[in-house]
Amino acid sequence: MKVLYIDTSSSYLYTAIAEDDNLLAEIKEEYGQSLSEVALPRIVSMFLKSGLQAKEIDKIIVVNGPGSFTGIRIGLTIAKVYAWTLNIPITTIYSLEAMALSSKKDTVHVPVINARRGYVFGAIYDKDNKVLLKPQHIKIEELKKELNVYRTYEIITNDDLKEFEKKSSYNPDMLKIINHFKDKKEINPHAVNPEYLKLTEAEENQL
Amino acid sequence: MKDVYILGIETSCDETSASIVKNGTEEIATVISSQIDIHKNFGGVVPEIASRHHVKNITMVLEECLEKANMKMEDMDAIAITYGPGLIGSLLIGLEAAKTLAFLYGKPLIPVHHIAGHIYANSLVKELQFPLLAVVVSGGHTELIEMKGHYQFEKLGGTLDDAIGECYDKVARVMDLEYPGGPKLDKLAATGNPSYKLPVPLKDDSYNFSFSGLKSAVINLVHNEEQRKEGIRKEDLAASFQKVAVESIVTKARKAIIDKGIKNVIVAGGVAANNGLRTAMKALTDELGVELSIPPMKYCTDNGTMIASAGYYAYLDGRRADLTLNSKSQDTLK
Repeated sequence: MKVLYIDTSSSYLYTAIAEDDNLLAEIKEEYGQSLSEVALPRIVSMFLKSGLQAKEIDKIIVVNGPGSFTGIRIGLTIAKVYAWTLNIPITTIYSLEAMALSSKKDTVHVPVINARRGYVFGAIYDKDNKVLLKPQHIKIEELKKELNVYRTYEIITNDDLKEFEKKSSYNPDMLKIINHFKDKKEINPHAVNPEYLKLTEAEENQL
Repeated sequence: MKDVYILGIETSCDETSASIVKNGTEEIATVISSQIDIHKNFGGVVPEIASRHHVKNITMVLEECLEKANMKMEDMDAIAITYGPGLIGSLLIGLEAAKTLAFLYGKPLIPVHHIAGHIYANSLVKELQFPLLAVVVSGGHTELIEMKGHYQFEKLGGTLDDAIGECYDKVARVMDLEYPGGPKLDKLAATGNPSYKLPVPLKDDSYNFSFSGLKSAVINLVHNEEQRKEGIRKEDLAASFQKVAVESIVTKARKAIIDKGIKNVIVAGGVAANNGLRTAMKALTDELGVELSIPPMKYCTDNGTMIASAGYYAYLDGRRADLTLNSKSQDTLK
């Protein structure tokens, strides 16, 4: 099974092509200001390296959030147009799931992404990556309260969050992520949408 | 010559649109998904909300367009995309979609400036004649552009502050007209007398415009009348504002037509739908004996058709972009 993985939800571009248990190509790149200039060209370069044709892909796994709104939309647009036009099965996963899954520590996993103003996008997973607290936009204080019940846990983040003393950085194990989710139920490409987990300011102000 | 089919994609503001145009002049199919009812609740386009709707709608709009045309991606000769100017988050959705399709089908990618699209909306109706003057009037633009031939643009002048459409919407807002207020203001103006005295903006020798002073004058007038507890006569204020705004455009257009020996005048952009402006431009071009082209209402708002049409001429001009093409919130038409 040939899988294309795309995650543009952070300031890094993470993308890979895998065939069964082999990672044929992968990119991990901090892109600066110009994700749009690099995202598709890097995916094309992976195809060249892998020797596969774009049409040979059997499944697309795309991270649909939470994280950078613009970033998510760039990767997701590529993925959904790709899946729609070539009629390739597609499925979405949370950035936080990918983060938890990449951890090598045998403990509770707590992936967090800075959402500013004292908030994070966060979730809690057990050591086998079962959900203990589902992905959400949450006050750091609240998340810390939730964590009180666990004897040990690992905060996973690439953001500079001073509220957490001990942190592990996130370095995706894309082969593991792909293999974990390759059989996840496919969805109609038209219905592939970002999970912002947060309303826009304009909408919040109307509440 | 073989027929050329261009798929045009436009997502620069709050319409998600795709269209297939044959040989730059024949509309085969167009789909426009407008968000106007959504943004109405906020009194204007909210960029983040617009982006969210574009990403939600993009594949449905593309699919419906191809189905309407009864064509496949393989049948396209090139993909034309609005790369700018516009709302960056919105532009990016169309751009990534266009680039992905260009990559997957090995099709040329044609970068189109949004204003070039508005100008070429006219070539869907009538062949352009050169030298041509494009009067570009919209919510984001107020520009005079000279064209000596296809896809040769020279900006003669533009607004130094607010765009005319923006000014219309803001004035409409202080007059309590619902968003988008510009068209409502235009309707109201037709029923009133231009009895309020408002300053005529930028009476100089340039081809430039300025609308912020006019906008402030209207806002001040409304506030003063409110304080004096004398309600404004809305239709008269609308007529007064419209008269000055239209006069400002007509005066500078007249100068450009005479100075540059223009044969064909085009009015393009959302404000080209304004009846006051249409009537005044008709009178001006009749008087000077030049041809006037105003696109039908359906081509005045943002759409993929005009992008596909402009894309055809850009394609003939040899313009191509690679997959590193980025969206630009601002860019000069060249």
